[in-house]
Amino acid sequence: MVGWLVDDRQPAFFTLDHGTATLAGALVGRVDDRWRLLAATALPAGGSPEALLGVLVDRFRSADPARAAAIAGVRGTGTGEGTEPPPAWPRLAASSVPAETLAIIAATERTRARLEEAAVGAGWNVVAGSAERTDPLELTRLATRPGVAALLVGVADPPDADERDLAAGLAVAAAGIAARRPGLRILLAGPVPEAPLLDAWGTPVLARLPAPTGAPGDLAASALRAALAAARSRPDDSRRALAAAAGSLARVLALRVEILEIGVAGAARVVASPAPADDGGIAATVRVVEVPGAALFRMDRPGSIDRVDHWFTLGLDRARLRDRLAELAIAPWSDLDGDGALLRGAALRAAVERLLAATDPVLGVGGVDLVIGAGGAWSAVPAPAAAHVVADVVRRPGAVQVAIDHARLLGPIGMIADDAERDAVLADLVGDLLLPLGTIVTPRGLRPNRAAGKLVLEAGGARSEVDLVAGGLTLVDLPPGVNGTAELAFRGTPELGPRGRRFRVAVSGGLAGLLLDLRDIPLRLPERADRRRELLGTWERALWPEHDT
Amino acid sequence: MTDALELVPARALLVPRPRIRLELQPGDRVTAVVGDAVQAGEVVAERIRDPRLVEALAPRGGVDQGTPLPGTWLPGEHARAGRRTGAPAGEFLFEHGGRRRLATGPHPDRLHAPADGHVLEVEPGVALVLQTDGPGLVATELLGEPHSGRLIVLPEDSDPRIALDVALAGAVVVLQGRVDAEALARARAMGIHGAVVGSLAERERRDLAASSARQQGGLHRLAPFGVLVLGGYLRRPLAAAVRAVLDAASGAMVGLAGDPPLLLIPADRDLPLPEPGRVVVRGGPEVGSEGRWLGPGGIRRVRGGITVETGLVALDDGRTVAIPIGELERFAVPVANG
Repeated sequence: MVGWLVDDRQPAFFTLDHGTATLAGALVGRVDDRWRLLAATALPAGGSPEALLGVLVDRFRSADPARAAAIAGVRGTGTGEGTEPPPAWPRLAASSVPAETLAIIAATERTRARLEEAAVGAGWNVVAGSAERTDPLELTRLATRPGVAALLVGVADPPDADERDLAAGLAVAAAGIAARRPGLRILLAGPVPEAPLLDAWGTPVLARLPAPTGAPGDLAASALRAALAAARSRPDDSRRALAAAAGSLARVLALRVEILEIGVAGAARVVASPAPADDGGIAATVRVVEVPGAALFRMDRPGSIDRVDHWFTLGLDRARLRDRLAELAIAPWSDLDGDGALLRGAALRAAVERLLAATDPVLGVGGVDLVIGAGGAWSAVPAPAAAHVVADVVRRPGAVQVAIDHARLLGPIGMIADDAERDAVLADLVGDLLLPLGTIVTPRGLRPNRAAGKLVLEAGGARSEVDLVAGGLTLVDLPPGVNGTAELAFRGTPELGPRGRRFRVAVSGGLAGLLLDLRDIPLRLPERADRRRELLGTWERALWPEHDT
Repeated sequence: MTDALELVPARALLVPRPRIRLELQPGDRVTAVVGDAVQAGEVVAERIRDPRLVEALAPRGGVDQGTPLPGTWLPGEHARAGRRTGAPAGEFLFEHGGRRRLATGPHPDRLHAPADGHVLEVEPGVALVLQTDGPGLVATELLGEPHSGRLIVLPEDSDPRIALDVALAGAVVVLQGRVDAEALARARAMGIHGAVVGSLAERERRDLAASSARQQGGLHRLAPFGVLVLGGYLRRPLAAAVRAVLDAASGAMVGLAGDPPLLLIPADRDLPLPEPGRVVVRGGPEVGSEGRWLGPGGIRRVRGGITVETGLVALDDGRTVAIPIGELERFAVPVANG
């Protein structure tokens, strides 16, 4: 229990989200007996949290001196320059750190592949080898290289015929590694004998994990994956906290919520679904998968650069593109304006692609009601353009609301341990913490470049009709705060969840409005780079008015 | 009242008496011991080349007091009557099935201390940790190997293809202008010990790595060579504070370290400290400019449609401009030496 959150006398609190690239802060205060977001901003990591909070207080005081005085007794001239230290209000803080590296040594290549799949699905960076292919000297070097935080030694259970002899040797090799790296955590998966390790010099820290069972492709959802994920958790990890916040959102909004978190050092996807609770209330099931390989500028996999180039609407030679992305990985806040923003948009699309590819086997591709973009990457493009990123990459038939965690409140609020307390705070703040981008409606199965039907939108007391042409992206103005219903009458029988001719869906407005995405699922783009860029640019300009400035 | 300078991320310029790690691999023979005072250029380890595994019989119980520790050197085969001695001595890796596995191979290469200092820690086959006597100028990456040499700062407008010659053999040269892999390969071939560059593009890094790999694979290897990158991948001028440190260290015996990446400077050099309140622009239209921080400039919308926090900066050319704080950096004043 944080406690003070339910104390009416507490006038305000701060949140801080310490990311690898960004330090985000917010000021939350009581207004009319409920928590409201009063100010928020973000700076590059390395800036002082005290100075940032000072800016927030000063800005709030400058914007609404009377309320500032009422809330906090903070009086002043309101210079708006962040020149005074912040009041001693409580703080909710979360931090994200780069994924640690796990060295994997396995008896055979088969087992190595299984362990690697589970470890990657658990959010580790992985270096791996097997006794079958790699000599013990190389395995020792692999496990003692700088940055390795833990060693996973694995054998199938029951061991395959060719693993029985290797298992004992593997344990001895691990004991040799443990003796070289005192304090290294050693995780044993499967029937790896402990005796040599218990005798090793330096008394290594051992932990037993489930054996790697199941076929390749299923390991990402295994008990081993869950155990490996637990082995790397930190109490204030903001990606873990996102899961708790997603559960609260699902309960408070009674919606299926998906969070796509993309950062510079890592990424995570959270899916939370509400369900009836035993006590008659609403419970939520939450699943989270971290994917370090989906970090925004991570380009170490074959084809990573090509995918960014695929989405980038400006032509740039490959060497230059690689250098600019590498520079952004070092200094994520540089190159902010002009085509730097477009490059970030392309990198964000490629990162979300990697995130979905890695997590679909675990979390599935089922529809959700609300997609939330979280992490610094979503704030590096204009909000309507962020909706376009979701439309381009999250290709699922159905209607979905889209929002972004613009003030980066979800991580810090997820740090509240008590579900009821967190739900109460989120219920107050839900209108402030999510920046609504709009609704994306994506039918599947339309014949391209033909008249597809008609949309009738009733919202805010107005009624509008739009003719639908398959193959394009149509924008309908639907401002934030406006809800309505869209009746879609198709000539064919596309899939929009179920398959049919007529659909009636609830839509909500946002900075992008209503996006009728009548393009193919999956999205098919021209092979020729110039035509692809032209087409992508046409769509991008519609949602990014400053595209060419 | 403050001017909120702390909003601007601070980057370390100098690290007083840094601890540096020199990477080892199993089979490397460490000649220094913990507590040793070493001088720049002194051999601290003999590096194994083309390591391989050999086996030796474990002696019967109690003969050699249990399992040896890592770093223990053992003969390849225990001498027994009527048997030849077999494989050369090697470093103990582990014992299994009554046999010991040893890493062995020739040791033709030497690992030199890149700076004066003390050996703090030796992790056999993993790393040797050295605390240097002098400070280190912070860089982003060392490509190649740690080394040392006299620091020569070449003029900013010099062409490395012309300026690099054999007279610089044994030196560490600062190349402020455009640098390519060919110039660096030539520098290595001329016996230059290392180079300090502002930035290096990915293509040049790859070419340099390929060139180094060819050298490593050769029968007659050239001496170690390191390229210390102070910035990133895109070319931009060195900050005035960095140039001032390099100028002050010019002529001194400096070292190149990779973990962490540092230019190691002797303790007896007086180095200029960064000026508080001075900021460097590292991106955007004013990239490379420097000036004085005036205070927060509020939230502004930049070209491309993103809104960001800005700061007001009095640039050295007399203009006062609002620049996104994300494109600014300043150098932190190091804490007292030692």
